[in-house]
Amino acid sequence: MIHNEHIRSSNFEECIKCTICTEFCPVIEVNPLFPGPKQAGPDGERFRLKNSFFFDENLKYCMNCKRCETACPSGVKIADIIHSARMDYGTVIPHLRERILAGTDVMGTLARPFAPIVNAVAGSKAGKTVMDKVLGIDHRRSFPKYAGHGFIGWFKKEKASIQDSFPSQVAFFHGCSVEYQHPEVGKAFVEVLNAVGVGVRLMDEKCCGVAMISNAMWPQARRNAIHNLKEFRKAGLPVVTTSSTCTLTLRDEYPNILALRNDDVREDIVIVEKFLSDMLDEGDIKLVFRPDYKAKVAYHVPCHMEKLGWSIFTRRLLEMVPGLELTVLDPGCCGIAGTYGFKKENYQYAQAIGQPLFDEIRAEDPEYVVSECETCKWQIEMSTGYKVVNPIVLLYEALDLDKTREANMR
Amino acid sequence: MKDGYDVIIIGGGITGAGTARDCAMRGLKVLLIERNDIATGATGRNHGLLHSGARYAVTDRESAAECIRENLILKRIARNCVEDTSGLFISLPEDDLAYQATFVQSCLAAGIDARIIDPKEALTMEPSVNPELTGAVVVPDGSVDPFRLCLANVIDAKARGAEVLVYHEVVDVLQENGRVIGVRVLDKVHGEVKDCYGSVTVNAGGIWGHHIASLAGVNVGMFPAKGALLIFAHRVAKLVLNRCRKPANADILVPGDTVSIIGTTSTRIPYEECDDVRVTPDEVDLLLREGALLSPSLSSTRILRAYAGVRPLVASGDDPTGRSISRGIVCIDHEVRDGLKDFITITGGKLMTYRLMAEQATDAVCARLGISARCTTAEVHLPGSEIGGLEETARKIWEVPTTVQKAAVGRAGSRASQIELDSDEGQGIICECEEVSYGEIASAVDHLDVRTLTDLRRRTRFGMGTCQGELCGFRAAGVLAMKTGNASSARKDLRDFMNERWKGMFPIAWGETLREAAFTQWVSKEVLGLEDNGI
Amino acid sequence: MRYDVVIIGGGLSALVCGIRLQRSGKSVLLVSSGQNAMHFSSGSFGFLGRLPDGSVPDGLIDAVQALPESHPYRKVGTDRLREYAGQTIGFFESAGILLHGDPLHNSLRLTASGATKPAWLAMEDVTLFLSGEVSSSGKVLVVTLKGFTDFNAPFVASAFSRMGYTCRLEEVEMEEIASLRKNPTEMRSVNIARALEGQHVLDRFISCVRGKLKDEDTVVLPQVFGLKDTSPLAAIRSRIPAHVHFIGTMIPSVPGIRTQMSLKSAFLSAGGTFLPGDTAVRAGFDGSGSVAAVFTSNLGKTPLEAGEFILASGGLWGKGLDAKYDAVIEPLFSLDVDYPGERKQWYDPDFFARQSFTGFGVVTDDAFRAVKGGKTVPNLRVIGAECGGANPLEEGSGAGIAIMSAFMAADSILGSI
Repeated sequence: MIHNEHIRSSNFEECIKCTICTEFCPVIEVNPLFPGPKQAGPDGERFRLKNSFFFDENLKYCMNCKRCETACPSGVKIADIIHSARMDYGTVIPHLRERILAGTDVMGTLARPFAPIVNAVAGSKAGKTVMDKVLGIDHRRSFPKYAGHGFIGWFKKEKASIQDSFPSQVAFFHGCSVEYQHPEVGKAFVEVLNAVGVGVRLMDEKCCGVAMISNAMWPQARRNAIHNLKEFRKAGLPVVTTSSTCTLTLRDEYPNILALRNDDVREDIVIVEKFLSDMLDEGDIKLVFRPDYKAKVAYHVPCHMEKLGWSIFTRRLLEMVPGLELTVLDPGCCGIAGTYGFKKENYQYAQAIGQPLFDEIRAEDPEYVVSECETCKWQIEMSTGYKVVNPIVLLYEALDLDKTREANMR
Repeated sequence: MKDGYDVIIIGGGITGAGTARDCAMRGLKVLLIERNDIATGATGRNHGLLHSGARYAVTDRESAAECIRENLILKRIARNCVEDTSGLFISLPEDDLAYQATFVQSCLAAGIDARIIDPKEALTMEPSVNPELTGAVVVPDGSVDPFRLCLANVIDAKARGAEVLVYHEVVDVLQENGRVIGVRVLDKVHGEVKDCYGSVTVNAGGIWGHHIASLAGVNVGMFPAKGALLIFAHRVAKLVLNRCRKPANADILVPGDTVSIIGTTSTRIPYEECDDVRVTPDEVDLLLREGALLSPSLSSTRILRAYAGVRPLVASGDDPTGRSISRGIVCIDHEVRDGLKDFITITGGKLMTYRLMAEQATDAVCARLGISARCTTAEVHLPGSEIGGLEETARKIWEVPTTVQKAAVGRAGSRASQIELDSDEGQGIICECEEVSYGEIASAVDHLDVRTLTDLRRRTRFGMGTCQGELCGFRAAGVLAMKTGNASSARKDLRDFMNERWKGMFPIAWGETLREAAFTQWVSKEVLGLEDNGI
Repeated sequence: MRYDVVIIGGGLSALVCGIRLQRSGKSVLLVSSGQNAMHFSSGSFGFLGRLPDGSVPDGLIDAVQALPESHPYRKVGTDRLREYAGQTIGFFESAGILLHGDPLHNSLRLTASGATKPAWLAMEDVTLFLSGEVSSSGKVLVVTLKGFTDFNAPFVASAFSRMGYTCRLEEVEMEEIASLRKNPTEMRSVNIARALEGQHVLDRFISCVRGKLKDEDTVVLPQVFGLKDTSPLAAIRSRIPAHVHFIGTMIPSVPGIRTQMSLKSAFLSAGGTFLPGDTAVRAGFDGSGSVAAVFTSNLGKTPLEAGEFILASGGLWGKGLDAKYDAVIEPLFSLDVDYPGERKQWYDPDFFARQSFTGFGVVTDDAFRAVKGGKTVPNLRVIGAECGGANPLEEGSGAGIAIMSAFMAADSILGSI
């Protein structure tokens, strides 16, 4: 063969300029400074290859929600092109604010011993004013609360010793939010997996790095990624997660943005809903639900879950719950995009982007919203007042754990 | 001639444009006549290589020496039109490495700074080069945008009082008593014929100079050699890549603006075919095969277009390929050779020695007119090149340039300050791939002798990007229609433009090109209904 | 994951087929590799705009006899075509899309460049004429938005002049729209439609147009209204005291996107499953040559199993076909493709002439079942632009083939054929 067309990992040349990505970009609708995915991505790439003079710092307005990539009929990894360009050409050095927002694990370690104080300060008017004025973190933003006791401590104390007794094992990549803010998600994960006969192991994980990637802290992101990949290889087990964003980062951002090969472990990195669904398909597990469970919920598919293409697994599991009245909300970004919406300059755009979703939630008026992403949770809870739970927590509450355990005895 | 011009220059390629500028700078009253648009012949149909001269060092030292002198001049006076990329001459396992020593010696003798480097160093400098290379030499090659260079010369000539007639074809050379006194021209837009008189007439018609000469009753034997080239959709290499061997087919890869160009082939063609040269499938195959030897990534890079040009070589000997013919400049005063007074032919040479050709032609014109003004084209910057450096130029105009303003500076250099790029309207994008704004389009239509969308493309690069006019052709046609008030001719022009773009695409219509073509077909036919020519 | 039917594709034919099956009780999954050609619709559907001899047929069903036997319409058969054509308006109405036009005859529409083209059924934005009806002595006001280069007002105005109207051109300038131009890619039909969604913005636009109106009885506007629903169209029509025609813009297409979104909602509310942004990359066959499962890039090892599969991957543009340097392949199942072997026969040097490559497609049997290596794949049907035997662009038959083949594939799976 003389010429085989497509090639480069970012494949920007497959763009045939149909402009569909622009239609689906939530940022361009609200922020005129962002040049749009097509221009910032494949169009701009040709200019940047010509001369770095053509790099545009406004690429930072991309939220990396990847709606453009989901919409692209040519398979162009538009958001990856944009973030790789920020990495290759960006000259802005991350400031204190970026370091604070991106340092999810370090900040968590520092904050947790003082959780009540930190929460009170971060939630106070004075604290918000300081963060706004000094750091550029918008004062209208509610900070997620740090949990006083972490997930790992609970696991080691309550659960670690029995895990080897299960016939199969998974490695749980819990992510920063489970450890520092939402240990109940991790607890639900362990309880459900144990109930279906799967043991859970923890690794020496570091933050997946998504916030570092967004905040131009590339060397730190790479360091974390290299460390995590080494841990995954050492574990030699399926790596199961509860956060859609961590999952996407581990699977796709590592190779596509940080240029770290992960093809040997990528297939084994899955979110728990896919893991359970595949096990059900294989006939390996059974789920027994409580007959008295009743709830009306609305499922918000986070952008990164949409990009992973895995919301069908969550839907399938939720649809199995007998007493659940489920609405799937229209696909649309909540606006937070990790740390993006925390920044003062992005606050108004973040809220405008999320508005249609907030309106739809209010119209549905569910008991609570279900979503796999912790930052979607923060944004939706702050903006609508509706409680958001991770699907694994809902499953934990809806399952009859004793009967499930029984049904999975081998 | 009373009430006439001091000099009439036939041919709006780079030689004619450069000669018009030089003549105007020496105070002459100038008329430049071009039968189509500027830069439509060989000027716009080559690599856009700013030779260091290295390519000719072994075979043609005189040309090589000319090249390096002009190379250094253009890097100064035309810095907005050229890029100082530097170049590599690489040896591959199948090449004779002994040639490298001869090559370097010849370069140095011609005044070209050539330096042998370790192949590993070459790979670091240029990661896309064939990793199997056995040798590498760095030379001061660069790239040149021929449309921009030609346009800058025309703009400057006009600013200095020259008149320019595009779409005017010379149908006769007027003579009186053994002197050429002017030309008869056909206005191809309005169909009118008129006579123009000049004291001296310069034939700068390139390959078509053969025909102009015959109109004057003299003979300039040209040797039409077709060269085919391929454009790849982005910059594959940062440096110019050459093979270190005797010049052969498809052994130069040049980064030019947003694209890369590989070429060329060399085939003798009959003179009659010069007006419609096409690239054959065999040529495409050859270019791809040889190109992949310079940079293997070419075999997996999207191809944008195939095109061909005709080298205006002056015939001598009977080498069937034309490769061994001198690329030297030929300046003929037809009084000396043929006894025909006030008629000068300037031909041969290369794109990048155009300034020297213009200088020689202008010297000859001045000699006939008895004018002693000195040539200053080597010192005076071309319009747009006054400041130099993209960053510097942009910052001089805008504090924080926008995407669109940056793109305009990338093309127009300091001339961008004269384009309306501050208003929302001016910044509206017409061509998304090449980021050409409404401001640039409107300014070109108003000031740069644009008759058709294809002319507009040569001025602005609109329609030259990945989608090849799929979206922007329609938009620009609307702007033209608004400005000219003639919708039906703009619509016809749009059809011609789409066909002109397609001509470069169908020889490479597979992969992404064919997919893009399927989309363009849909948009043009189903959505726009352009297949109906019935307005 | 197991479904009754897995459809590869997310465009017109995939959605129509998916809705019909899902509504009849089948569980259907659509795998859609990004968005689709509906985004580039002209706002109208073609059934058969041009016969092989170049003439424009009037009666659509009888004209099908002039097509070669391998043509998808011949496989549907004239009786069923007549029945399906009659069902089409009702089918779309049930999905919330109002189409108008004569289901059995060609009408005319005016294109964005001012040409007239045959059309079958049209969305609410598009005015259909019968031939001979277009000429009038009325006065027309063509209104565009300042700086909107995707609507070629001079071309449209000149077309109306040619039809005998007296034509005037006006530009409306509104701050809400002008600000879109600050962005290099925003001044497009869709963004304008979004900006005009706000009631007060639309009100101001309408009053601007009313202010420009003198003695004209007809107003022509670009198709930039009603991305979510057609209420802006109705508001404009009722509040501007003239006949209002909407003419197409450069892509993307506001009516096309609206229609696609309505079809997708109809599919989802019937209970269908839609995988957006996922690509079927591999197929598994069972021992009898039937498709057992497809695998996608997102789902990895998780197979998508079904009893019936439908390939609606949109031909060359949709990546349902891949043109290699010297061959055209169907990349997912390696099906037989109908195309001329030599590359120089793929195209015509005249861009506006009939192009062979716009008609490449998969070989199927009389029931739209795919052919692979000369053998029929029993449970794989090919519909829409992926299906060979036609040149939809040249024939003006793209939407017609998509809908007719989708109906037929669905009905044969449902056992009603």
